[in-house]
Amino acid sequence: MAEPKMRNISFPRYAEYNCAFKYIVEQALGARYVMPPALTKRTMELGTKYSPDSVCTPFKTVLGSMIESLEAGADTLLMTHGLCRLGYYGELLEQILRDLGYQFDFINLSDYDMDKKKEYIRIVRRINPKVNPARFLAQFMEGLRMVEYLDEIAAEYYRNCGFDATKGSYKRAYQDFLTAMYTAQGRNDVETGYREAKRALQAIPLDKPARPLRVGVVGEFYTAMDAFSNLELEQKLADMRVEIHRWMNVTNQFLHYGGQKNMRVKIKDLSAYDMGPTSTANIWYARECAERGFDGLVHIKSAACTPEIDVMPVLQNISADYKIPVLYLTYDAQTSDVGLMTRLEAFYDMIDMRKKVL
Amino acid sequence: METHMMTIGLPRAMLYYRCRALWHTFFEELGAEVVVSSPTDREILDQGTALAIDESCLSLKIYLGHVRALVGRCDYILVPRVSSFGRHRNMCTRFEALPDLVRNVFRDSGQQFLSYEVDELFKKDEPGAFLELGRSLGHPAKAVKRAYKQAKKAELAHHKARVQKQELLFKREGIKVLIAAHSYVAEDPYMGRSVTDYLKQVGVIPLRADLVDREAASKRSRELSPTCKWEISREILGGIAMHQGDVDGIILLSAFPCGPDAMVNELITRRVKGVPILNLVLDSQSGTAGVETRLESFIDIIRFKEGKL
Repeated sequence: MAEPKMRNISFPRYAEYNCAFKYIVEQALGARYVMPPALTKRTMELGTKYSPDSVCTPFKTVLGSMIESLEAGADTLLMTHGLCRLGYYGELLEQILRDLGYQFDFINLSDYDMDKKKEYIRIVRRINPKVNPARFLAQFMEGLRMVEYLDEIAAEYYRNCGFDATKGSYKRAYQDFLTAMYTAQGRNDVETGYREAKRALQAIPLDKPARPLRVGVVGEFYTAMDAFSNLELEQKLADMRVEIHRWMNVTNQFLHYGGQKNMRVKIKDLSAYDMGPTSTANIWYARECAERGFDGLVHIKSAACTPEIDVMPVLQNISADYKIPVLYLTYDAQTSDVGLMTRLEAFYDMIDMRKKVL
Repeated sequence: METHMMTIGLPRAMLYYRCRALWHTFFEELGAEVVVSSPTDREILDQGTALAIDESCLSLKIYLGHVRALVGRCDYILVPRVSSFGRHRNMCTRFEALPDLVRNVFRDSGQQFLSYEVDELFKKDEPGAFLELGRSLGHPAKAVKRAYKQAKKAELAHHKARVQKQELLFKREGIKVLIAAHSYVAEDPYMGRSVTDYLKQVGVIPLRADLVDREAASKRSRELSPTCKWEISREILGGIAMHQGDVDGIILLSAFPCGPDAMVNELITRRVKGVPILNLVLDSQSGTAGVETRLESFIDIIRFKEGKL
């Protein structure tokens, strides 16, 4: 009997969400998932070599990651649509990869009208015509729950990991959680992994001062969330004994908030309209942090990210109004670890000194 | 007592080159006086550069310089938010951000700004936006609707006349080069004007990819790029699809760093074959010698290819 051809699907590396993509592809869609190798310097070199110069950095990262997925055996690449230049990534990525000679099937969500529900069914059927709708829906929802768990645990981790009494115990618990998510084969694995992580993190004794330094992170949707792309900014800052708070993640942006209408109420004087895909949330959260008395803000973006450049004048006004320091960071393929560390240390010294004086 | 005539300032940058007939007619029909900033010069560029975030595109720097030049000279400065005309018909996000960006940059100037919002993906179309705009200035709905109708007619007639004028140039003898650029790049004295001036000077006929029937061009753009999402890029792509056989070369002219152009122009160089293409990115450097050298060698290539050198 002829085995039906099973697709080997890949989606570029994106923070820690690839375990959820894997789960959805394997459990909901009944296809094989090719995990793209972890991002490295080589990924960036590949991506930069074949990308146009002044495209935003995530394009280069994604191109490099796709090449590595193809090398790892993927025969189908999936690319998302998006509200900024991201919406045009797919077509140009495919052209560049085809010009290089790679053979693959390309599923570009920009080809579909994603406002229409039946388009989703078309995409699912294209990936696997024999998909079982009931199983798909149940497992897809579980995949989304995994995304929520990932974001919740990550938030808890970065808030506390700088303060664990025995150095490294927080990190170990977080790594255990990620391993559980990357290897989950069903609902039970996901739920157990989450519960165990929650318990493990809460059991770790903390050595935290009554008024720790608190820093809010805002910025562009890829670079602010992907630890490789921002050179582990959050870990570096947390290791200096700082609480890290970031609102921006897939859960908050897509799963819990639709349209963000109610956020605009609070920032009307700063921004009357959406200035870009994530501007409203970023401006709202920056003001929120300022009002809650945070010690500083970090604004993260990739080089040439138009919408985040345009948010900067608003952040400058928030900084002036609330006297809150903002560190503006732009990442490109050349940004170095050492350079970043110097700037972070100077930023830390400044906010630490302000806290003691004010 | 006669009330003072309302003055509206129009920065001579960005969408001014596309919408000037629409804006002038609309406000004049409503009895307002229109003030336009003077053509871009070094001072406007320098002022704009000082006000802008470093990494902004040259077009935004110039725009902010024009706004600065109008501050204090009019009751309102018009800064619209133009985001989308439908699916795959977006503007660069910068046009979405412009009103809030300008208000934040100039918030201590005391200047009043005026805006309207076109975002058809969110059911905000242009007629509705202008109705709201006119009514916010205290005019009755009927008068506003009439003014908009006149203004839209003027805009379409203005564009049509320019397209027809250019069609005649295609019939002329001589080397023809198609310039693929946003109108605010192509027509700005500090950006594209130096390119067209130079081409004319050396006997080449410069033609504009975006001076075509917009609807037809938008449809034809699909041949070159099925998912291109930017309204203006699609008109340019369509213009190339329509005219690539009628010209001797194509110049992709963009302002550094233009988000859409960085991607669309890469795609054009990969998909448009059989005609020489020059990818020219303009930055704020003073002097045109560098640009002229590149144009000169491009024209040489065209002449050589045609056996005229």
